[in-house]
Amino acid sequence: MASAHSRMKCGEFRTTYQQDTTIFPTPLARRVAIGSVLFLLIAPSFLNPYFLNLGIQIGYYGIAALGLNIVLGFTGQISLGHAAFFGFGAFASAWLNNTTGIPVFFCIPLAGAMTMALGLIVGIPAGRIKGLYLAIATFASQFILEDFFARADWFTGGSYGAMANPFALFGFAFDNDQRYFYVVLFYVVVMFLLGANLLRSRDGRAFIAVRDHYLSAEIMGINLTKYRILSFGISSFYAGIGGALFGHYLGFVSAEGFTLLLSIQFLGMVIIGGLGSVMGSLFGTAFMVLLPELMEAGVGLIGHNAPGLTQALAYIKEMAIGLAIILFLIFEPDGLAHRWKMIKAYWKLYPFSY
Amino acid sequence: MRKSIMLGSLLVASLAFAGGVFAADKIPVGHLACYTGPTSDVGGPFGNGVADAMSYINKNGGINGKLLDYKTVDYSYKAPQAVATYKKWMSNLKPVAIQGWGTADTEALVKFVAKDKVPYFSASYSGHLTDPTGKSPKTKAPAPYNFFYGPSYSDTCRGLVQWAADDWKAKGSKDQPKFIHMGANHPYPNAPKAACAAYAEELGFEVLNPIVYSLKPADAKAQCLTLKDSGANYAYLGNTAGSNISLLNSCRTVGAKPQFLANVWGWDENSIQAAKEAGDGVAVFVGAPSWNDTKPSGMKTVREISKMSDSTGKTYRNLHYMRGICSAFYMKEAMLIADKKGAITGENIKAAMETMVNFVPAGLEGVCTPSTWTNEDHRGTTTVGIYTSLYNGGDFQLNKQATIEVPRRPEWLGW
Repeated sequence: MASAHSRMKCGEFRTTYQQDTTIFPTPLARRVAIGSVLFLLIAPSFLNPYFLNLGIQIGYYGIAALGLNIVLGFTGQISLGHAAFFGFGAFASAWLNNTTGIPVFFCIPLAGAMTMALGLIVGIPAGRIKGLYLAIATFASQFILEDFFARADWFTGGSYGAMANPFALFGFAFDNDQRYFYVVLFYVVVMFLLGANLLRSRDGRAFIAVRDHYLSAEIMGINLTKYRILSFGISSFYAGIGGALFGHYLGFVSAEGFTLLLSIQFLGMVIIGGLGSVMGSLFGTAFMVLLPELMEAGVGLIGHNAPGLTQALAYIKEMAIGLAIILFLIFEPDGLAHRWKMIKAYWKLYPFSY
Repeated sequence: MRKSIMLGSLLVASLAFAGGVFAADKIPVGHLACYTGPTSDVGGPFGNGVADAMSYINKNGGINGKLLDYKTVDYSYKAPQAVATYKKWMSNLKPVAIQGWGTADTEALVKFVAKDKVPYFSASYSGHLTDPTGKSPKTKAPAPYNFFYGPSYSDTCRGLVQWAADDWKAKGSKDQPKFIHMGANHPYPNAPKAACAAYAEELGFEVLNPIVYSLKPADAKAQCLTLKDSGANYAYLGNTAGSNISLLNSCRTVGAKPQFLANVWGWDENSIQAAKEAGDGVAVFVGAPSWNDTKPSGMKTVREISKMSDSTGKTYRNLHYMRGICSAFYMKEAMLIADKKGAITGENIKAAMETMVNFVPAGLEGVCTPSTWTNEDHRGTTTVGIYTSLYNGGDFQLNKQATIEVPRRPEWLGW
């Protein structure tokens, strides 16, 4: 009788906590996720390097954006210094590899750990202050680190920057786009699974409680200082891993690459993607990476007749990002993740959406 | 829904277009320009010179009939952006030569271009790019595929210091002259810092602690006060023209009046007009004849090249434009030699460059300085022509002071 009853289910019913906190809300979502990873596994064999390059960019920036989303979207703490942590990860990994000879394979997670340690230190004031004051404190860390990058010759090579060796495994160098794509894909899958799981854990729920109402959270017994600092640490770990992947991909790390502008771009990524959404971080990053390329392609299409347009390309790219952020804030403040949910709901309920 | 499908297909189509393939019978050349960013004041004219020269080469039959397929990318003076562009090119454009720009990006790419065997013609004249073998003890890394047209920053600064020493003697002062390096904390102003200070010391200068000022034009009164207090007699300006204009104005305000010595990108016609009297007397290395100088026979070609982007022929082109043309034309000549030998490949272009002795590209006589490259020495020229500028109420003058032949000391290679 019971089995017959279960066959009669119509829609999604969750009767246990396990079912409610599953990573993939439906079996279809799980199959799509696994399917897309499988697709990406075979993608390098037929995609041209240009698309792989974009995929790799989305990967390392996406990991860092997820880090920012953990601190901003889940814990409700603003950070204007995310690019500096991203840069610290890149320099740390190159430095570890160049000075100690530890293989890049181990340097990437080690760089993540070093960046996390730094993030925990910078996070200490975050445990005490919030809002605009916190924005300024993280802003300060951005400038301190930027200046450190430009002067610490022993660590970063100073204003000349540092060379980063390619990722290698048992003497096999992942030095082109086809190969490096797998490295980034591996990290994206691992880091996003970790991220999604973190938010199902006690600590993740504590982050959300701190974000939703810090006073209530404190009354419930959540140690605010601990969780705010922890959130910064985890966020920095993600930034460090993303940065290290970036450094070993480009082969060169320069202090110029990690300015306030990149921090703002990370903010743009999570706002466009959707605050408080793991997948949204990836959507937002994809949007931010693809938009300038789309502008370039558009200018390329009509640029032959208007040479001035080609010279203005750098401006057009920057302006498009600014415009996109404004348009999202007005028309879709919940980000791409929310839009995606709406699209799914539309098809799920079609044609009886009401 | 239909709208989003259409948008989606448009997106895919345009991306496919961006990653398109290129025809095989052309000569792919990358052109990294700086039309925006902190050095765009001089990067603009230089980039236009390079682009116009390449269009002109194509209009006149290319390299023995093969056209240059050049792609210009404005990298906004961001070294990581330049490296990313280079990597992108290596997977689709596959250039046989690259016309580049800044020091940070060129030095970052040294190892890449050496590995991929792509001759790289930079507008960075960093001394670090002059040692192709890495034999010199001062060299950090060999730069076998790097070329530039003009004396290195270090040699320019040495020439200016040499001139300063003569100037000090001529003034009859008995005190020890004081020399100071000024510039942003950036590879470009830093490139000649140590080399030039060492030579200044050798010539009997007291070398003071360097002063840092921003590469982006900004108020620099604090730096000028430091300069005034230091009592420097000769101040080398390592930044580009835009930044130097604001520095000189600030220094005029606070009354710091040393003899300023500007690097090749640090002073030009535009900055004389912008700084007005504040810029009077700045000594600068001028690496090309001016636009209105009709004496050199090569200026006819320059005027023709200029028409590629300005059909009226009325636009005034500044000194950086001519040097951009020279940079592109040395590459053209090397390609012609390479083509005669067999194929236009990176290796052949490099070998062709290294056969040039006191060479001037055809049609540019009197515009480009005769230059020599060998497989052990990439210091094309060490001749430094020094001028001082005078605003003169708008009808400015550049007055020649001296031509310094900086010695080619072997220990200075790569430094």
